[in-house]
Amino acid sequence: MLFPTLDFLLFFLVVAAALAALERRFAIKKAMLVAASYFFYAQWDWRFCFLLAGSTAVSYVAGLLIGASANRRTRRRVLAAGVALHLVILGIFKYLDFLVASANQLARMLGLQHELPFVEVLLPVGISFFTFHGISYITDVYRRDVAVCRSPLDIALYMSFFPQLIAGPIVRAAYFLPQLARPADEPIPIAAALLLILGGIVKKVIIANYLATGLVDPVFGAPENYGGPDLLLATYAYAVQIYCDFSAYTDIAIAIAALCGFRFPRNFNQPYRAQRLREFWQRWHISLSTWLRDYLYKPLGGNRHGRRNTYRNLMITMLLGGIWHGAAWKFVMWGALHGGGLAAERMCQPWLGQRSTTPLGKFVGWLVVFHFVCLAWIFFRAEDFTVAAVFIARLGAGWGGPVQQAQPAMVALIVIGMAGQFLPPGSFERAGLALQRVPYWGLGAATGIILAAINALGPEGIAPFIYFRF
Amino acid sequence: MALTRSERVPLVTDAIPPALRRRGITQRQVFVACLVGWLLVALFASRDTPGWAERLGDTALDHRVRGGVGAWDETMETLRLTGPHDRLRDAMQRVLDWQWGQDSR
Repeated sequence: MLFPTLDFLLFFLVVAAALAALERRFAIKKAMLVAASYFFYAQWDWRFCFLLAGSTAVSYVAGLLIGASANRRTRRRVLAAGVALHLVILGIFKYLDFLVASANQLARMLGLQHELPFVEVLLPVGISFFTFHGISYITDVYRRDVAVCRSPLDIALYMSFFPQLIAGPIVRAAYFLPQLARPADEPIPIAAALLLILGGIVKKVIIANYLATGLVDPVFGAPENYGGPDLLLATYAYAVQIYCDFSAYTDIAIAIAALCGFRFPRNFNQPYRAQRLREFWQRWHISLSTWLRDYLYKPLGGNRHGRRNTYRNLMITMLLGGIWHGAAWKFVMWGALHGGGLAAERMCQPWLGQRSTTPLGKFVGWLVVFHFVCLAWIFFRAEDFTVAAVFIARLGAGWGGPVQQAQPAMVALIVIGMAGQFLPPGSFERAGLALQRVPYWGLGAATGIILAAINALGPEGIAPFIYFRF
Repeated sequence: MALTRSERVPLVTDAIPPALRRRGITQRQVFVACLVGWLLVALFASRDTPGWAERLGDTALDHRVRGGVGAWDETMETLRLTGPHDRLRDAMQRVLDWQWGQDSR
């Protein structure tokens, strides 16, 4: 059940009706949201619900055991067991066949005859996200950053809440669980929520979908058939596509959560306007980058043990961040590029400074960072290393030939997608404040008409969000 | 109840700025707004509903839904409410078909 579909509209109408009926019954409202979330998840495959329930049970029991013990060693053992169980579940479903394939490849290289059989486990959607939720909860309980959650209902809702279940944002236990302790007494920000929904649907249905079908998929599918202009514009198009696709999902998730009476954290902040790679990671998929920083980079030592260890920790964090995206060497390469880039940038910091101060310095910084990110996206999007190598090798060829795929509409979508990155700060807030003057039923009517228009302008059928497969 | 460290110090920024949270509506009004929006989508986006209904299953209920959706689309066409959808889709197709060096007229 994808967000921009009639199925989801019907589903959410029923949820909104139930929320309205249960306005003053907080415990029943939470139980209804858990039931709705499991129904939502079962639309992909009902068997995945058992996995989600198992992951929730591991987190709940580990949290209780950590909370019940005053002994540091016992607490540490329970934490290790809980994290290991989560990682085993993730490893079996996401990485087992990748490890088998890599082992077989290594065996062939060593001249060994025996090959391990593939297990071919179906990848449950959103597994990486709810695993990170579980690890975040038990680690926060261990660190005493969050109180032990004694309500199975609360932990079930934290792990399964349908707006973030499939593709994030990764919501920390310390951020979300306090919202479940008592009913929120604040009004529901309808203007901001509808603005986020409409913006998200434009980004997904019009920009991301047309760029994917009209330019990115054909060019990345057979880069040997295209010249430099098509390849370069397809790279820019993919940068815009993945941003519009993923940020659209999280914008809609934030809005749906707000309409249900909950707060979600910000996940994107105009990432392609960054002038440093470090700044890019402070603006892109913020909930993942801060998760990696707090649960991986800092426990590894962060930047506390000298320059060499800092570079090593950056590299390890980004390599694991890369492989979190998928079980393939191309994601390892993507992570290695970002890890190497962050380490190189830190190495050059005495000369570069934290930020550029001159207009030329700012422009050069932006140009370098944007193109470095685009280069890494080529590995991320290409089918494998061979395709990525052909793609990069042909970037400099065929500049005199005709453009085949990058026609005016595609270029216009790239320009529109990039223009959104440079809107002045506070634009969203100003638009939201202006919309607050419209009565709520008028906002509902306007949203309905605009959704119908977007539906007419978009292609028939909606491709799944890119981050569903992670 | 004593506050934990994270409750005292916010870890992350809320996606919706505080200024936009000062005014809002109740859960019942959210439902009314959703219902109004949903009715307008049903009125003006009926063109794609038969395609959606085709993907339903093969039960008696699915067949009844399919029949109802088809009849709804025909009614909307009779009322000329499908016109804006068709015109927007044609306009978008013309934009997509436009090629470099081609006369835009």
